[in-house]
Amino acid sequence: MNSVNDRSRDIGPFVPGPDDDMLICRCEEITKGEIRKAVHDGMWTLTEIRRYLRTGMGLCQGQTCSRLVKGIVAKELGISPSELEPAASRVPMRPIEMEVFANEAPDEKEGE
Amino acid sequence: MKRYDLVIVGAGPSGLSAAIEAAKKGMKVVVFDENEKPGGQLFKQIHKFFGSKEHRAKIRGFVIGQQLLEEAGEAGVEVVLNATVIGLYQDKEVVVRKGDRVEHYKGNAVIIATGAAENMVTFPGWTLPGVIGAGAAQTMMNIHGVLPGKRVLMLGSGNVGLVVSFQLEQCGCEVAAIVDAAPRVGGYGVHAAKVARTGVPFYLSHTVVEAEGEDHVTGVTIAEIDSNFQFIPGTEKHFDVDTICVAVGLSPMSQLLKMAGCKMEDDPKRGGQVPICDPYGRTSLPGVFAAGDVAGIEEASSAMIEGRMAGIVAAEYLGYIDEEELKSELASLDEALNGLRQGMFAPQNRGKAIEKTEEGIDISESLLKNGYVADDEIEKYPGVTHKTGIHPVIECTQNIPCNPCQDACKKGCISIGSKITSLPIVVDDSECINCGMCVASCSGQAIFLVDESCQDGTATVTLPYEFLPLPEAGTKGKGLGRDGKVVCDAEVVSVKSMKAFDKTNLLTIRVPREYAMKARFFKVV
Amino acid sequence: MSERIKEHPILGVQEKGKSVKFTFDGKELEGYEGEPIAAALKANGVMVHRYTRKEHKPRGIFCAIGRCTDCVMVVNGVPNVRTCITPLVEGMEVCTQYGVSAKPFEEQ
Repeated sequence: MNSVNDRSRDIGPFVPGPDDDMLICRCEEITKGEIRKAVHDGMWTLTEIRRYLRTGMGLCQGQTCSRLVKGIVAKELGISPSELEPAASRVPMRPIEMEVFANEAPDEKEGE
Repeated sequence: MKRYDLVIVGAGPSGLSAAIEAAKKGMKVVVFDENEKPGGQLFKQIHKFFGSKEHRAKIRGFVIGQQLLEEAGEAGVEVVLNATVIGLYQDKEVVVRKGDRVEHYKGNAVIIATGAAENMVTFPGWTLPGVIGAGAAQTMMNIHGVLPGKRVLMLGSGNVGLVVSFQLEQCGCEVAAIVDAAPRVGGYGVHAAKVARTGVPFYLSHTVVEAEGEDHVTGVTIAEIDSNFQFIPGTEKHFDVDTICVAVGLSPMSQLLKMAGCKMEDDPKRGGQVPICDPYGRTSLPGVFAAGDVAGIEEASSAMIEGRMAGIVAAEYLGYIDEEELKSELASLDEALNGLRQGMFAPQNRGKAIEKTEEGIDISESLLKNGYVADDEIEKYPGVTHKTGIHPVIECTQNIPCNPCQDACKKGCISIGSKITSLPIVVDDSECINCGMCVASCSGQAIFLVDESCQDGTATVTLPYEFLPLPEAGTKGKGLGRDGKVVCDAEVVSVKSMKAFDKTNLLTIRVPREYAMKARFFKVV
Repeated sequence: MSERIKEHPILGVQEKGKSVKFTFDGKELEGYEGEPIAAALKANGVMVHRYTRKEHKPRGIFCAIGRCTDCVMVVNGVPNVRTCITPLVEGMEVCTQYGVSAKPFEEQ
């Protein structure tokens, strides 16, 4: 089993760090401390972190912070960042207004 | 739903190259790009590229961009701009946002050439206005003609950090320092040297402690770090700057491939999450291909070849060419790509500390630590020789895949040989006619023409000069050493600007004879 | 407009569109038609584009290519407009964005 999925593993208690107030997710204004605490709250995957804290769910959709969040979570879990599966990629890849997202162009005949 | 033979996402160097190849094979191709203008990052690259002729070496990036656009137009490629691909599904359905609506396209084949995004590092104050990505600086100065700042600190000594530092100086900004947490300069030595000689100090094993300022950056403190990346107390240095530029690497923007269901892997050597694909960009999904930085961070030159490969492979996938044609076309591209993937900075050598050149000469420690080759090291390299009269001095000290200097000299003074990464040598008994073509054609600005034996006890040094204002003959100033420090008085003897030099002006300065091998830049003081 | 590059050693004199007037927080400024709003603001020395929703911290240009969304402002009454990729048009009303509003926090 991948160590990230072994939830019985003891990662120790949350120990406050000097740079816990460092902002990581610029859009949603989530700090390093919040991310580290979330890991100790049981959020061990990037998808969970995302849903729990909204990191990478702001306007930029994780363009800037994904890699940083990954590094922080991995360090907290004592694993290599490459062991962490990136959060799911899904539509829309870029910020888009709902009215545009819902405005489907009329279907044209194939080959046109 | 509109159907195309080939849908390409991204109109950068690889996407356009792929489109050109595919269209030439008769395919109906569309390229979507979210930007207002095509070319990806090519139009921000104003330096001359490395490589050999087939890699478009010694041509400036933005000119290559123009060439690609012309070729794409001639080949009948449809490039749709302001078109953001927001989704890619397994059955090669592409969802595109255009203006205020969403359109669906189907590609019989799809090439993803979305490139890369800049990495970031955090430090207190990193969200302040004035802390910008290196790409942002390039965009502002080279596309929009606006100064990114007046005094800039560059964080990152990879090629991007070095090239952007030079570009900042070219548009009139002052670069206060180049800082890198790594103990060695990450980019090409020649890129470092051309910045260092203008007087920019390098701080390796240093990083930013804090960006200062209330509403925007007004200063920055850096400090040395130990091998555990901990600050060493007492090593703090402060700079009054209005801008901090961050150039700490790139990550592939591979989300579309992941979404479509391509098998992915985390490969630090390729820059992060990348699709698992064969050397030609075939992913785990039949008919879905990846090209350029999205499949692994490299140079624009290799991205163009990868793009062409993907275009050809896609053509074969859809039956536009047969296997035989595929094989022969790929063979020549393989060779071109292998040419670029050689030398100290090749992908396979990433992260390795290389101590000696292929010729067995020690790599300059000073170059890796300070950004310039020390005076007592320079004579070790084969391009640095002495003779009576004018002759080229080639301060090329690392094995990189580049050879325009060899072709530039019509008199055969410079030789690299068949191995493109070899250090150039000055050929014995060759006659330099002072044409300056080698100086102008060296993408690394590492060639000087030196006459150590002028009759009046002086020497002349001809150096590449890409700054404004251009000094005139007779201008008195100072000669700067490789380290950017004033070494002697200097007077401009002549300034040559020719079309063939492609904006690299040749400045000839007169210096006392003992500085012939030391003075490498000119400044009006 | 001292922050404009007048002549570049490689790119020469860059072609600009026509000069247009726009407002920044009600103050009239000049820029070139079609250039990104952010470029026009930068050329006028404007650094702060917005203050964040939670912490009320200043933000400005960061990526300059429409990815990071840090440079968003209220443009013609519409919030969250990426100024680094939105072309400037004559008469545009550009306002500092506080959270997602053009009104300073104390007035919200």
